[in-house]
Amino acid sequence: MTYHFGRGWSRSIPYLLLLPGVLFYLIIALGPSVATMVYSFTNATLPGAPVRWIGVENYKEFLFMGQASVDNIAVLGRTLIFCFFVTTIQFAVGLFVAVIINQKLAGRNIFRTLYFMPVILGAVIQGLIWSLFLYPVTGPLAKLLGLFGIQALFLGGQPNEAFAWVIVVQIWANMGTTMIIFLSGLQTIGVEMYEAATIDGANPWQVFTNVTWPLLTPSVNTNLTLNIIGSLQAWQLFLVLLGYKPGTQVLGYLIYATGFGTSGGVSASFRQGYAAAASIVLFLLVLVIGMAVQNILRRREARIMG
Amino acid sequence: MNTPLSLNRIAGRRISWGKIASYTILVLFAIIYLGPLLMLVNTSLKTTPSFMKDPLAFASEFQVQNFVDAWNKANFPKYLVNSLLYTVAGTVVFIMTAVFVAFPVARNYVKYSGWILTLFVVALFLPPALIPQFQLIRGLGLYNTQFGYIMLFVVNPIGIVILVNYIKTVPKELDEAAALDGCGYFQFVLRIVLPLIQPAVATVIVLHAIGIWNEIIMPTIYLTNKEFYPITRGLIVFTGVYGSNWPLLAAAVLILTFPMLVLFLFLQRYIVAGLTAGSVKG
Repeated sequence: MTYHFGRGWSRSIPYLLLLPGVLFYLIIALGPSVATMVYSFTNATLPGAPVRWIGVENYKEFLFMGQASVDNIAVLGRTLIFCFFVTTIQFAVGLFVAVIINQKLAGRNIFRTLYFMPVILGAVIQGLIWSLFLYPVTGPLAKLLGLFGIQALFLGGQPNEAFAWVIVVQIWANMGTTMIIFLSGLQTIGVEMYEAATIDGANPWQVFTNVTWPLLTPSVNTNLTLNIIGSLQAWQLFLVLLGYKPGTQVLGYLIYATGFGTSGGVSASFRQGYAAAASIVLFLLVLVIGMAVQNILRRREARIMG
Repeated sequence: MNTPLSLNRIAGRRISWGKIASYTILVLFAIIYLGPLLMLVNTSLKTTPSFMKDPLAFASEFQVQNFVDAWNKANFPKYLVNSLLYTVAGTVVFIMTAVFVAFPVARNYVKYSGWILTLFVVALFLPPALIPQFQLIRGLGLYNTQFGYIMLFVVNPIGIVILVNYIKTVPKELDEAAALDGCGYFQFVLRIVLPLIQPAVATVIVLHAIGIWNEIIMPTIYLTNKEFYPITRGLIVFTGVYGSNWPLLAAAVLILTFPMLVLFLFLQRYIVAGLTAGSVKG
């Protein structure tokens, strides 16, 4: 495109002004991101300590060596389970709520705002709100369920029980985002589509399956992709709600714990090379699942859109 | 609902059962969303003994003292100033550099514009930068410094992509006209482009700032000096110390929740715009 703001040396001004942003990005984000691969083949600990090239040792140890690798595989499985439940439930609930809110109802904006509200609070406040609500034995929900004779320890209970509650909080916190994306998709569907279907005598369920659902394909794709990638990588709520509780970790938390320890502060026992290898495992997991889902979604879209 | 007839007469039209079902569901979800928050309010107004006795009962004491104690004990002013510093500095540096990346790339005013944009898009699919980033910051001697911490937040690839897409909607004829009037490149971007792309800039600023404000992993990794803690880390430390004093804890959490909720009402449309801008492009 023609540049109008001068020639000669002044032609270099856009380049000079562009430089800081690009350099920041290369040094702080892109470079380190690529370097993760390199670190995964070393025994790096803290900067300054001697580093040796050890080939695929970290990967071997992560996947095949001793009890630790058995635990790691369990962590991988748990990450997938977390991803599956968070994605499917959040998707279904988000869609359901969006369809209801999309009707001409008085006060619908109030409900929309309410469900969307947790996104601004962040993992710490989301987590602390629920820690209190789920406080075992003497906490509010424990007392409430106690009235019905149900006993639950929530976050302090068995690993599986605690894990399930993190899924609940994760969905509570992010359902609003899924709903908003569906709502924006629903609003692109013209009223005349619904009117035509109704005139043809379709009942609400038929209208949904034959009109809404196919036309919602772009939002369906966006939400599925965002939710799957997001939930594979999410672990902040585990940090706030449970800490490093045995039998509940997901891969993101494992990477953090092996690279930086669980208690904060700096220690020479940080296994940063090993943590980098675990990061690459997570990256490959996201890549493989992400591409498979993209592939399925694209074929489905081609079938629907013709 | 045993009196549909009389209700019908009052309303002057047929009752829609669909609407009743819809409202029932919406209210149920509202309870799920408000319930934990209202419990927090209720708890924060109680004394510890009365909370222990019956956490569900409505607060009768209205203990405002919890809020005073939480404010005094938690070192909140210090943490809030830190959070504010990180959020403002990180966001300002990011947006100022981002506009000067996004504009020439959107206009193709620099060579390899397409490649530069791809460079930013690719970040969304690459491995996490966590480990090498730590090595870099420590190697540079910026570990446990406020400057080093801020530097972590001066990039945001999604923000760049949103800006580029929006700038493409600004008519190009404007550039030529401004240049003919003798306006320089820097002046043009700052005085004319920036106001025109204000909706996108606002969206990107809001998303970026919320991200920094709520960040918990980075401060855990990079800041060990208590003097440098942002509010998120400070709150976690506070819960560690006063873990069993739930009324005090509830008050502390609420002190930080209420301003965010008020802010949310004003910023909501920008957050929605940011989320849906990303989604339209798929």
